[in-house]
Amino acid sequence: MLSMKNISKVFKTDLVETHALRDFNLEVKEGEFVAVTGPSGSGKTTFLNIAGLLEGFTHGDYFLDGVNISNLSDNKSATIRNEKIGFIFQGFNLIPDLNLAENVEVPLRYRGFNSAERKRRVQHALEQVGLAARMKHLPSQLSGGQQQRVAIARALAGEPRFLLADEPTGNLDSMMARQVMELLEEINRAGTTIIMVTHDAELARRAQRNIQIVDGQVCDFTMYQHGAVADKPHLVAGDKRAVEPSSVEAEEATS
Amino acid sequence: MFFYYLDLAWRSIKKTPLLSLLMVLAISIGIGITITTLNVYQLMSENPAGDRSDKLHGVQLWSQGKDAWKEFNGQVTYQDAYNLRKSDVPVRQTAMFVTGLALQTEDPDFSPLLESVRVTDSDFFEMFSVPFLYGKAWDKGVDTEAMYQVVINEDLNKQLFSGENSIGKTLYLDRKPYQIVGVTKAWSPSPLYYDVTTGAFKDSAKLFVPFSLAPIEEYQSWGNNQSWKREPINNYSQRLSSEMHWIQYWVEVQDDKQRDEYAEWLTRYVEQQQLIGRFESPEAAAKVSNVEQWLKINEVVPEDNKILVGLSVLFLLVCLVNMLGLLLAKFLKRAPEVGVRRAIGASRAQIFSQHMVEVGLIGFGGGLLGLLWAWGSLSMLSAHFDLEAALTQLDLTMWIVAPSIAIFAALIAGVYPAWRICSTNPSAHLKSQ
Repeated sequence: MLSMKNISKVFKTDLVETHALRDFNLEVKEGEFVAVTGPSGSGKTTFLNIAGLLEGFTHGDYFLDGVNISNLSDNKSATIRNEKIGFIFQGFNLIPDLNLAENVEVPLRYRGFNSAERKRRVQHALEQVGLAARMKHLPSQLSGGQQQRVAIARALAGEPRFLLADEPTGNLDSMMARQVMELLEEINRAGTTIIMVTHDAELARRAQRNIQIVDGQVCDFTMYQHGAVADKPHLVAGDKRAVEPSSVEAEEATS
Repeated sequence: MFFYYLDLAWRSIKKTPLLSLLMVLAISIGIGITITTLNVYQLMSENPAGDRSDKLHGVQLWSQGKDAWKEFNGQVTYQDAYNLRKSDVPVRQTAMFVTGLALQTEDPDFSPLLESVRVTDSDFFEMFSVPFLYGKAWDKGVDTEAMYQVVINEDLNKQLFSGENSIGKTLYLDRKPYQIVGVTKAWSPSPLYYDVTTGAFKDSAKLFVPFSLAPIEEYQSWGNNQSWKREPINNYSQRLSSEMHWIQYWVEVQDDKQRDEYAEWLTRYVEQQQLIGRFESPEAAAKVSNVEQWLKINEVVPEDNKILVGLSVLFLLVCLVNMLGLLLAKFLKRAPEVGVRRAIGASRAQIFSQHMVEVGLIGFGGGLLGLLWAWGSLSMLSAHFDLEAALTQLDLTMWIVAPSIAIFAALIAGVYPAWRICSTNPSAHLKSQ
């Protein structure tokens, strides 16, 4: 589904070069729920932006659903984002002037669906997140948890194969966070591949697989959370031994 | 997507009403001034002959002596007009000038009016497409066998006869009775191309009388009279036989071939006049010009007017630069929203289009408001500077031209801000929201 080989991303200014990602390797299979953790500044968001085709990369190969992402035109990237990828952000990123239905409708507009199809999908997506009755409300009239559910509905409306979530529960209290997480799990069970960046170890533990990014490199894999567990992780680039999330959390706490 | 973008544009304008109003004002002032000058320029330079422009030709003769003016004169002498009328090449032709006559009716209580009267031939009316309300022009025979007949216009007919059919009624011009044979509908080409000698922007005459009456009634010329030769003109007969230029002469030809044929006829006429020693200058020649050429030759649109249009366009550019700054501020403020739209599937081109539609809508608003400014400016010019009404009315085409220019100008101003906003890195704003 997603394959990154030796991806590197360098931000250059006149004075300094910053390596946000270096020799980054990752394979994500269809239907997986992957949690990405790592300390602040480690490159999690850069990885997510590259995975979501929001940013280019300096070196390496990236294949998404069999498509080579290197040197894609802006139009092609936008089409892939629109058709295959759904985004969920920490800050919800709903458009404040549009009501819920209009917010959910935005990606469908860019996709060129007719009015009836848009209406059907908006209705269905909002029903999935339990907010169909409030489709005429503005985002400011909702709680944070409800706003995030609308954002999820917007991501789902286009029926993407791939959901990228950047700290989706970061701005929510624990109860709301749990609800959103349950929703994501439900979506994943329905077949959508999810990559979720999070700081929350508990949430990460609920994913099928954990990836830790440190200094722009994949540090450790946990192959199927509920399966075999290896010993303490070594934060070495390319190390592919499995590790328990609690260890990741411990490492994170010390970093 | 256009209507979706239009909806987004309208929401955006409503969201920032003051900023939007400033932009609309900026462009409307530029458009208002541009349209004002353009309107005057267009009305001045309009070719009112339309598709007959290539058929109607003004005639000029280089009949002056060696030491006289070194260019063709816009008018001809009575002698030449008399001779030119003998040509059977043109389809129609007319000699003409303007005079002034005291107008009276059969009503003893009617106070006499001094009116300008066009002295012309019967062909005048068909040549210049004069529409008739009642009756028609006098018969062609009257052009050679003078009769006291008159054609009046609709306004005068309303004034004198309450708009009723006045054909057959009598008018008195300088105390002579004239029978009304035709009443023209409201008609006043602008510019008054067939006689630009005393200003091209005036109303057409209210009365028309046969040219053949001129030697009998000794009508005085109210137009330009230009002499190059010192010669005694103590009576009307001397005026008619003088070398004074005071008659306008126009012909109508079917096509270019007939025009060339007529030009040849004129060349032979000039040679003939040289032979009899009348046209003394070796440069003696004849020239025919269609309406378009005639308007240029007579500089109906002054050079100053073109400069004024240029300056107003420069002012519009200054307004656009202001608008560009405001647009840039407005659009860049929207970068986080654009980031979201980009993330969920909008291409750069779609974001660019969305913003250009908004700019176009602002431009359209500016165009409409600019029209109001232009209308106000023209009314003010009309009221304070006593300009001809023909120059200060807002031309109908401006209702399309103004919004079109405004939208086009706004789109030009909007290209850079729209390009900037669609080029911003979406990921840079997704975290910051």
